[in-house]
Amino acid sequence: MSSKVKKIDENDVFSRDLRENEKRITERIGIGTSFDVGVRKLYILDKEVHFYFVNGLCDIQYVVELLKELMYLDANETKENRVKDQIENRLTHVQVEHVGNMGEALTHMLSGLVFILVEGESDALVVDVRSYPGRGPEEPDTERVVRGSRDGYTENIIENTALTRRRIRDEKLRHEIMKVGARSKTDICISYIDGVADPNLVNIIRKELEAIDIDGLTMADKVVEEFVVKQGNNPFPIVRYTERPDVAATHLLEGHVLVIVDASPSVIIFPTTFFHHVQHAEEFRQAPFVGTFLRWVRFVGMLFSLFILPLWLLMVMQPSLLPETLDFIGPNETTNIPVFAQIVIAELGIELLRMAAIHTPSPLATALGLVAALLIGEIAIEVGLLVPEVILYVAVGAIGMFATPSYELSLALKMLRLALIILVAIFKAPGFIIGTTIFFIFLALIKSLNVPYLWPFLPFYPKALLDIVIRQGVPMKRRRPSIVKPQDPIKQGPA
Amino acid sequence: MTKELEQSQQESSTTFNGTVALIGLFGGLFWSVIGYVAFYLNFARVGPALALMPWALGDWKNGWLGQLVGILFIAVVSIPVAFLYRMIFAKINKPWPGLLFGLSLWVVIFWVFNPMFPGLKSLQQLDLNTIITTICLYLVYGLFIGYSISYEYHERTAHESEAIQS
Repeated sequence: MSSKVKKIDENDVFSRDLRENEKRITERIGIGTSFDVGVRKLYILDKEVHFYFVNGLCDIQYVVELLKELMYLDANETKENRVKDQIENRLTHVQVEHVGNMGEALTHMLSGLVFILVEGESDALVVDVRSYPGRGPEEPDTERVVRGSRDGYTENIIENTALTRRRIRDEKLRHEIMKVGARSKTDICISYIDGVADPNLVNIIRKELEAIDIDGLTMADKVVEEFVVKQGNNPFPIVRYTERPDVAATHLLEGHVLVIVDASPSVIIFPTTFFHHVQHAEEFRQAPFVGTFLRWVRFVGMLFSLFILPLWLLMVMQPSLLPETLDFIGPNETTNIPVFAQIVIAELGIELLRMAAIHTPSPLATALGLVAALLIGEIAIEVGLLVPEVILYVAVGAIGMFATPSYELSLALKMLRLALIILVAIFKAPGFIIGTTIFFIFLALIKSLNVPYLWPFLPFYPKALLDIVIRQGVPMKRRRPSIVKPQDPIKQGPA
Repeated sequence: MTKELEQSQQESSTTFNGTVALIGLFGGLFWSVIGYVAFYLNFARVGPALALMPWALGDWKNGWLGQLVGILFIAVVSIPVAFLYRMIFAKINKPWPGLLFGLSLWVVIFWVFNPMFPGLKSLQQLDLNTIITTICLYLVYGLFIGYSISYEYHERTAHESEAIQS
């Protein structure tokens, strides 16, 4: 455990003196200074009782219910030996715990639970009345499908595990929870199916999570990813995120391990390869043949978006390389600005547009589109700034990028394309060839959590590769992918 | 249950040699297709048909048919090449022997055996683009075959030792 987070101070216990407890607690969490923490004092059967709570994180309705119950108790019952037992008996809730440690009780309280101190008692009663502000499950924007479930993960880790559990009612499904972050005390959950997922992988991930020693994880899963997979300078995404519970459940059944971080709607899938980023839930909602077609279109689109601009630039700079059948390619008129500069301007323009589109409030989006498409494109050509072909290929590249299912991968590919364009501009054909080769070798050498990034293409696994090239019918898939080293490799009975 | 076990054994019983052959075949096929693309885009003066040059086969070998047959020929020839790698480097589960292997293949074909290929100019006369393109192709070809075989070898031996332990 991260020493600062989990180490519970043994001496930090409640005293039997309620006044002293109150003084210590008031000092530690600043009751009176912070407006959102408070205490409600009342007398039950001649004993003083304190309710400590945080505004906004607990269901006030429920706290009122508890208070009412205790007031009835005060009115109707006579005092017996231990008032605390009488009080506990009347707490109408399923989750009631005894906590003797003050630090622990305060952490609970700051998570939205209430704790109750009774005069003359040295442990607190903690009642789970949490109710976090948040939205309901909605379809995630980045992973829409035409058919299929419309629910998506939310910012609430409890709802997220529930959404997973709703799809896998297996008794072997494990949700291990831990707190990470010395100040934020963020909940992180490791989900896997015991007996399917590789226990070594689970151990490695657990160890990496426990080793995180940071004050807070405000950027949630991204921070966790950076700690666990040690990204370095590699722009390519080495874990996959998903906001769809059905995708997450599929991966759990395949033997992957999920990490869910509280306050983030995306869960991390470990381990992932390059080819995990080019598949989409939509393919699995259509007939295998159609799914294959969709996938091929996407592959071709991605390849195009990566290579067409550098290649075209190369052909413009060295027309002798053009095959005879493709003679017509290349600008007919002379250009006012070097083609390379035009491409860079257009590329940066599209990137700018994309960023602007994210930050533009939706009522203005149409206006933005109008400005972008009509004014900039049209007029740039009319003025003689850009040749039409540049706009065509930059647009093809951009569309291919938008069709990439993984947003992270599309950004990485975009940067790679820019690098290739610059290499071509400087070194011409050798730049393109050597650049592509180095890029390929670089990808092949990436290994995250002991999984080669280009698996199953390199190292070559024919069956698994076939599964990526052709979307196979689910009844055909008898085995789990070997790359996750599943304990139980068989997914379903013989067909 | 027994039936399932039998089947799972059957499925995993693709022998190591079979996998090596498959890796060679596919590696040859895939990278010679890429080689043909490079040839089509005039990056390299020689395409996959180069493999047919030592044989007198008639004029068709210089056209697109020659390239096609060249691709198939390279795919088949890659099987013994894969076995060659398996004999030398299979035990090193690292990518660099593959790159080295590809590079030495290039040296052997373009330098040592250069006179055997009538259509191939000597190294001094070859243009830079062709040299760079072919070197890069042989590098990734070697990496593909080498890394795949080493990884597969490593996986299999690791599983065997696991079986012994349990």
